[in-house]
Amino acid sequence: MSGFRAFFDKLGKNKFYVMIFKNPFTYVTGAILLSIFQVVTLAVTGEPWGVSGTFANWGAWLYQLVGGNVDKWYYFSSEGAQATLARGFLDDPGTMRNLGIIFGALAATLLASQFKLKKIKSIRQVVAAVLGGLMMGYGARLAFGCNIGALFSGIASLSVSGWVYAIFLFVGAFVGSKLLAKFFM
Amino acid sequence: MAEFALDCLGEACPVPLMKTEKKMAEMAVGDVLVVNIDHSCAMKNIPEWARKQGHNVEIEEVDDGEWEVIIEKTK
Repeated sequence: MSGFRAFFDKLGKNKFYVMIFKNPFTYVTGAILLSIFQVVTLAVTGEPWGVSGTFANWGAWLYQLVGGNVDKWYYFSSEGAQATLARGFLDDPGTMRNLGIIFGALAATLLASQFKLKKIKSIRQVVAAVLGGLMMGYGARLAFGCNIGALFSGIASLSVSGWVYAIFLFVGAFVGSKLLAKFFM
Repeated sequence: MAEFALDCLGEACPVPLMKTEKKMAEMAVGDVLVVNIDHSCAMKNIPEWARKQGHNVEIEEVDDGEWEVIIEKTK
């Protein structure tokens, strides 16, 4: 066992290990990687990168699992949406991408030895997280995209809507930071 | 040369940075502030802000996913 430990202690101090897995990438590195992989996503799956639309599909599949039916729901009424739902949870590029984000984030934090279960400080945090999550999810579906599908992929597709989204993102961030200062400082 | 502690464990960005800015404004030159954080992006934005202000900054990894940012107020 001590051999294992020594090996990992040494690995953890390796210059390249620290550079790649331990220290955060710079914003520029992140931006370049995101740009490359969104092109890959578009080329491989034929659709621009999006995140929140898939969560709506996950909701529909969960609902079907307990006997629900979304055939008559306006949101899922298009042929494309019905075809996606018919293919199922596993045969969906969006599912693969989102699972990749979740398990990739877990792997990254474990590789950096930074995994920690954080304590919840106050009931206020829970209320803010739940309310914020509901509003973000609902808003993203009304806008047909979140900051990935509507902003990032929108701008990458030379769509004006992405820039409109960006302007209102700043408006929202301004209001949000005022609320944050009011309730959490 | 007083030393202050700021417990930001369990707080997400940008709250730790906002609390640090507020606390630093109340302190005198030469005072030291130790900020406890467990949000990795606070490990980036707090030192970045403090260094831009010209303060001395040190980061210590105290546990898995837990850091102390030590800031000495220089002006």
